[in-house]
Amino acid sequence: MGNKQSIFTAQQLDAYQDCTYFTRKEILRLFYRYRDLAPQLVPLDYTRPDVKLPYELIGSMPELKDNPFRQRIAEVFSEDGQGNMTLDDFLDMFSVLSEMAPRDLKAYYAFKIYADFNNDDFICKSDLEKTLNKLTRNELTEDEVRMVCEKVIDEADLDNDGRLSLEDFQHMIVRAPEFLSTFHIRI
Amino acid sequence: MVKELVDMSTRERIHAIRDLPMSFEEKKSIRSQVLAFKSANQSPHFTGFRDFTENASVTLRRWGYSVRSARQTLQLWQGTMKEIGGRFGTSVLTYFMFLKWLLVFNVVSFLINFGFITIPLLVHDHTPNLPPNVNFRGLEILTGAGYFNYTVMYYGSYSNETLVGLGEYNLQLAYFFTISLYMVLCGVALIFSMAKSFKENYVLSDPASSSAWQILCSWDFSIVNERAITQRKNNLSVQLKESLSEGAQTEMLTRSEKMKHFGIHLGSWLLSTSLAFGCGSGIYFLCQTTDDSSWTPLQEAETLLVPFVVSLMNLVVPLFYSLFNKFEVYSNQRKQIYVLLVRNVILKISILSILCYYWMQVVAKKFSCWESMVGQALYRLVLFDFLFLMLGSFFGEFLRKWLLPNLGVPEFDVARNVFELIYAQTLVWIGIYFSPLLPVIQILKCFIFFYVKKVSLAQNCQPPRRTGRAAQMQTILIALLFFPSFVGALSIVAYTAWSLTPSKQCGPFRGLNNTFGAVGIWIDNLQQSSSSYWVIWIYHHVIRSEVFYFFLALIVIIIIYIFWQVTQGRKQLIVQLRQQIVN
Repeated sequence: MGNKQSIFTAQQLDAYQDCTYFTRKEILRLFYRYRDLAPQLVPLDYTRPDVKLPYELIGSMPELKDNPFRQRIAEVFSEDGQGNMTLDDFLDMFSVLSEMAPRDLKAYYAFKIYADFNNDDFICKSDLEKTLNKLTRNELTEDEVRMVCEKVIDEADLDNDGRLSLEDFQHMIVRAPEFLSTFHIRI
Repeated sequence: MVKELVDMSTRERIHAIRDLPMSFEEKKSIRSQVLAFKSANQSPHFTGFRDFTENASVTLRRWGYSVRSARQTLQLWQGTMKEIGGRFGTSVLTYFMFLKWLLVFNVVSFLINFGFITIPLLVHDHTPNLPPNVNFRGLEILTGAGYFNYTVMYYGSYSNETLVGLGEYNLQLAYFFTISLYMVLCGVALIFSMAKSFKENYVLSDPASSSAWQILCSWDFSIVNERAITQRKNNLSVQLKESLSEGAQTEMLTRSEKMKHFGIHLGSWLLSTSLAFGCGSGIYFLCQTTDDSSWTPLQEAETLLVPFVVSLMNLVVPLFYSLFNKFEVYSNQRKQIYVLLVRNVILKISILSILCYYWMQVVAKKFSCWESMVGQALYRLVLFDFLFLMLGSFFGEFLRKWLLPNLGVPEFDVARNVFELIYAQTLVWIGIYFSPLLPVIQILKCFIFFYVKKVSLAQNCQPPRRTGRAAQMQTILIALLFFPSFVGALSIVAYTAWSLTPSKQCGPFRGLNNTFGAVGIWIDNLQQSSSSYWVIWIYHHVIRSEVFYFFLALIVIIIIYIFWQVTQGRKQLIVQLRQQIVN
């Protein structure tokens, strides 16, 4: 193999390897995946690190195409909050969603993905309703949706303020060990 | 925070930066701040040395990264796993990951045995000493006897001499120590993976039935197949509707209904245990009747009858158990799965213990080279198990799709398939003393099985409907691999080594009173040559003294008690803290 790649400098690769959970090979492979989404926009040697791919291209990747949360995932990990991702955001996203990321980090980002449709750092009932509709394709009636959301808040809200904070969510995640393997996208 | 990061060692710093819940830009800026701070604060003394250590650590880290990359290229079946996970979800993937782990495990055991026992023998004398007019016929592949009996496949062909080649190599000791070392390594590996699994996955309370868990924690992000995702969404809606309607009703069973359920449970347990014991005694009688050592082809073919019947029972009786299960009523689905698993375990234990009893008590006293006979019997069992699993997969999954489409598309039953793998591995562990090259067959089995199951999965099965507690199931299954499987196999091998007389004409322990005597002879030789006093001292005062084991057991019990009390104390603390949060 050897060090004969000309895309990144050694310092850049070091920075990537230190800040994400990927190895050198995976970082290069991810770079090529990123580039394949729009070869005309992304230069081959990372001279313009501020290239942003629009959300439509990111959302069309086979790993994300059918995921009901793809828009929220892209918005959470992108810098501008609209889903348009630079290479750094792209790597960050897949690093958190890889199998090596620890549980607390995944819980933090999962909380942000499920919550914050109204940007208040809590999962309130309307957030839950939106999540539920994404997960069930609108098959439940309005009454059923409301009852399920109330049940969820009852079960998971520890400090009884009517909405789920990050700590409530983390408490739930601690008791659900499959979370580490389900909150995981293979790339 | 930058100050804290500066004070850590490099490795901890990297871990801390990676775990920060910030965007990539912020992480990079923190990292560069920390590095700048460190380089600015270096004292002017010893800069040469410090530069050298800095460069050395950077190079070492880069080298570590490239080792990780290289290890990834060796990963087997990565693309297939991704495909399977994408279509069927994580719980089905655990079966294939377990299969891969088992394959690697058996490759390592094969390398250990082959390297330390077989290669020296082959180097020394690589022609099998066949008696006249025995040559290779096709039947050997099935029966394992005949030509194979005289090759290095079985215990009988290993000599008890000290091979003199490049140096002295005591094959007797090598055999004993290799097998013991292998068993110890297996035990250690299993204990570690079981402990790790318990630590991560075993949770006392069960939130899986709660809606909160179902909505917020259970969505499998790794599924990428559109149809599978649609199916999952449907399943989730159905489950949520069920849980809503369950909450509305409260079931009160009348006393007579409870008695009826209890009666049905009792009846099924009695029926299944008697079925298991009936199978065991049937096997015993069958063994006794097909018990000849003459070598006519017809009677060799008769030896195939016992493994045939064993594998048939292993295939058919669990179907009866599933049938009983349908008549019974359980309060939750997990209990149902566990009861089914326990019954299957009882069946397999009874069959295996009857067979081992027969081998240890009857075969060992009757035949001259009995270890090879036991090895052959195990070879046949392993082979027939493989053939019947293939047949079962064929009939269970392929034919069912073509001939009985109205029964519905079968689900991939992870628990049953993993259980079959555990049984196969138990056979290999029992057989490793009698036939050191048995892991080869297990390797081939795992390899072929991966592809057969993959094709069967793709063509015939649908993803499991209930997204249950996959992690806890995995923990239970790994615990199942350890008890009773490994412990049982270990006790059988230990009993053989300690109490049974090795055969007088063949094998590396011929002429000794028991296998452990080989170590005794070695210690005597060492004493006579008056070197390595510490080995002799350890042997006499540690391994052969009962007091040592007594004290060891006492210390272990005390440590377990202390840890248990610490856990109880922590549980109480959690209850108190939770009260404080609510108030």
